[in-house]
Amino acid sequence: MENLGALAILLAFCLSVYAIFGSVIGAWKKRPFLVVSARRAVYGMWAMLTLASGLLVYGLMTADMRLSYVASHVNHAMPTLYKFAAWWGGQEGSLLLWSWLLATYAVIVLVSTRGRFREMMPWVITTLMVTQCFFLILNAFVEPPFKVLAVGKGIVAVEDGRGLNPLLQYWAMAIHPPMLYLGYVGFAVPFAFALGSLITRQPGEAWIHETRRWTLVTWLFQSTGILLGAGWAYAVLGWGGYWGWDPVENASLLPWITATAFLHSVMMQEKKGMMKIWNMVLIAATFFLCIFGTFLTRSGIVSSVHAFGVSAIGKYFVTFIALGLAATIWLILDRLDYLKSEAHLESVVSRESAFLFNNLILLASCFAVLWGTLFPVVTEAVMGEKISVGAPFFNRVNVPIGLFLLFLTGVGPLIAWRRSSVESLKKAFLWPSAGGLLTIALLAALGVHHVYALISFGLCVFVTWTVAQEFWKGAAAISARTKQNMVAAMIELTHRNTRRYGGYLVHMGVVIMFIGFTGAAFNKDTTVEVGIGQSFQLAGYDLKVREIRDGDNPNYAWQHAVVDVTVKGQHVATLEPEKRVYKASRQPTSEVAIRRRLNEDLYLNFASMSQDSPDKAVMQAYVFPLVSWIWIGFWVLFFGTLVCLVPPKTKLAYARTQVVGVVTKHATVEK
Amino acid sequence: MRRWKSRVLLLVLTLASLAQSSTPLLNPEVRRLGNKLRCQCGCEASVTECNMINCHSADPLRAELLKMVEAGQNEESIIAAMVERHGKVILRQPPAQGFFLLGWIMPFAAAGAGLAFLWWFLRRKSRPAAAAAEAAPELEIDDPEFARYRDRIEKDLAKLD
Repeated sequence: MENLGALAILLAFCLSVYAIFGSVIGAWKKRPFLVVSARRAVYGMWAMLTLASGLLVYGLMTADMRLSYVASHVNHAMPTLYKFAAWWGGQEGSLLLWSWLLATYAVIVLVSTRGRFREMMPWVITTLMVTQCFFLILNAFVEPPFKVLAVGKGIVAVEDGRGLNPLLQYWAMAIHPPMLYLGYVGFAVPFAFALGSLITRQPGEAWIHETRRWTLVTWLFQSTGILLGAGWAYAVLGWGGYWGWDPVENASLLPWITATAFLHSVMMQEKKGMMKIWNMVLIAATFFLCIFGTFLTRSGIVSSVHAFGVSAIGKYFVTFIALGLAATIWLILDRLDYLKSEAHLESVVSRESAFLFNNLILLASCFAVLWGTLFPVVTEAVMGEKISVGAPFFNRVNVPIGLFLLFLTGVGPLIAWRRSSVESLKKAFLWPSAGGLLTIALLAALGVHHVYALISFGLCVFVTWTVAQEFWKGAAAISARTKQNMVAAMIELTHRNTRRYGGYLVHMGVVIMFIGFTGAAFNKDTTVEVGIGQSFQLAGYDLKVREIRDGDNPNYAWQHAVVDVTVKGQHVATLEPEKRVYKASRQPTSEVAIRRRLNEDLYLNFASMSQDSPDKAVMQAYVFPLVSWIWIGFWVLFFGTLVCLVPPKTKLAYARTQVVGVVTKHATVEK
Repeated sequence: MRRWKSRVLLLVLTLASLAQSSTPLLNPEVRRLGNKLRCQCGCEASVTECNMINCHSADPLRAELLKMVEAGQNEESIIAAMVERHGKVILRQPPAQGFFLLGWIMPFAAAGAGLAFLWWFLRRKSRPAAAAAEAAPELEIDDPEFARYRDRIEKDLAKLD
């Protein structure tokens, strides 16, 4: 079995190499049959990778302890779901998942573009397959997943494996990595189309129309992956944080930021033919940041909880990123004429410049995160002294940037394309600004004195108002004409221009998430030692430890506390935080108990038994205001993105783009 | 047998967790100071927040903090003592001095430079619509004949696959 798996990976590698040469030579020497054979090689490669992945998963599910990967990531007592999830629980397996996802995306691209983009497709395939080939080199030669345990020349099996890291044995963690990978890997597709159109000097914005959906779907996967990770950290790590600015978390955020910038600035290219170079740069940056993120996670260059440990694959990644970047930069510089802007900015106060600001601020935050992540590496190289850059740094730098972005979220969509008059600005922003300022005044009067929190809440009201105003105005116009009620009119409005109004919904999701983030300014916590029958207080809650139980199952031994929660004498909940010790890995973990409410979460962690008096438990209790709004905001964002993906009822025609396409084509013909 | 083994295991592990100490965390001052220091176990969390039970880094650091807090040392001297003993890496953010200032300045400098560039760019590029229209080249209109041929070619090629 392991031989078959290893062979499948090798064959996949050969096929990817063939696909590269087939496409390049076929496109270059104009041999359509060679191109077609390259396409078929992609299908074959996907089949091989599917076989290899299937074999690995089979090995994991049946706990085949001869395989070293299985022995280090699975034990017999583990639930089936986590045995499956062990596919991406370690270095070798997750790299195989990367490859398989990329191959799957490549196949979907081929199937969905059948018969279109004749000229460009071979280059799209080439770009995808070069990336694929790189990962297959890692799969086949550097981190092979099918290594067997052997003594001398005989294959041996261990009795039981070490099991998956207990912290990862949690439902959100089982799907968080594949979601992130779907995001990471997916950004290869828009990048491939961008390069394809650049190489063949495709007329018009063909690649953008083709890849907008890809980018949006990929962006959604990436957002989901990040949020699942946050939800996991919140529910599992025991101190109630959902974002720790860990290097690997940052690595997943970086391409998300550039992709967000791209999704915005791409509208300028679609509608006005502007910012072409910039969009190329953004999509390339997103792709390389994805690879860079994978590199950070795997090379051990920065220490992190998520990292797979120190490994030799770092230099492969550095080589790939360096070569890829050099090739991309050269291509862009070589084809600057093709990327010439077709329109000019007409006014500083316009939607166009709002987009520029949005991009600038997004990139600034991307740079701040990247800089903070790499600064320890820089100082160690320059000063020879280790320092750390942790959450306080990132919060201090990114909170103002984030608030400014929130502000732009409200401002941008209301400014007209081309130029806006002072009069129209006044009309659009008078009430929202008044609402925001009033909120700030009201909260300050109520005793909220945290400056950032006040600004954040004020901006949340401001943005919500602008979005609501847009929906209201549009719906009122429709309802006046069609006599529909307002709700039906709003749905009709959204359906007519799904991108615009779906985008507003996404913005609303972001606003709601900001409300949740802002709650962190008011967190409260306490740590106490309590005996059975004793109680302690936090922020109006009265917590009484009723009993402490213990027991075990084949996977772990546990000990948990039963805590009655009362508010003003009223029993509101019974929380049961638990402490586990996983047998296979001997690793202790905490299972926190959370009472989730819209206004605040009560979060209880059973830290340990007391050192001094063995019958007492050490309890950590936290109150996290508004944290649930982060998850609600995510669902709004999710729904909004889905709305963006629905084809609009009225087709938006960009006549200008079409005409320009022809000009470029003529130019090519004349050559 | 299995059950018995598990019981023994649990007992051993419970004893192990008894031996560890999270008691320093009962002291709010330790918790506050611990939040300014970074746990060295690789968790990236603060000394207060490290969730690892029996952490080989956070536990001794908390004990050290408690000792100094109980000895009545003030925040400044405690942090200074920690940096002296464990190096600057114990701090959760770069100190605002010397070369490390660069860490703080760069993000804002980059944002500032970006804004300045944008300002210059907008000033230079934005011009009235009339001037822009003048500068735009005359567009050729597509020939319907040409489009028909192109469709034909596309269709023929589609059959290849």
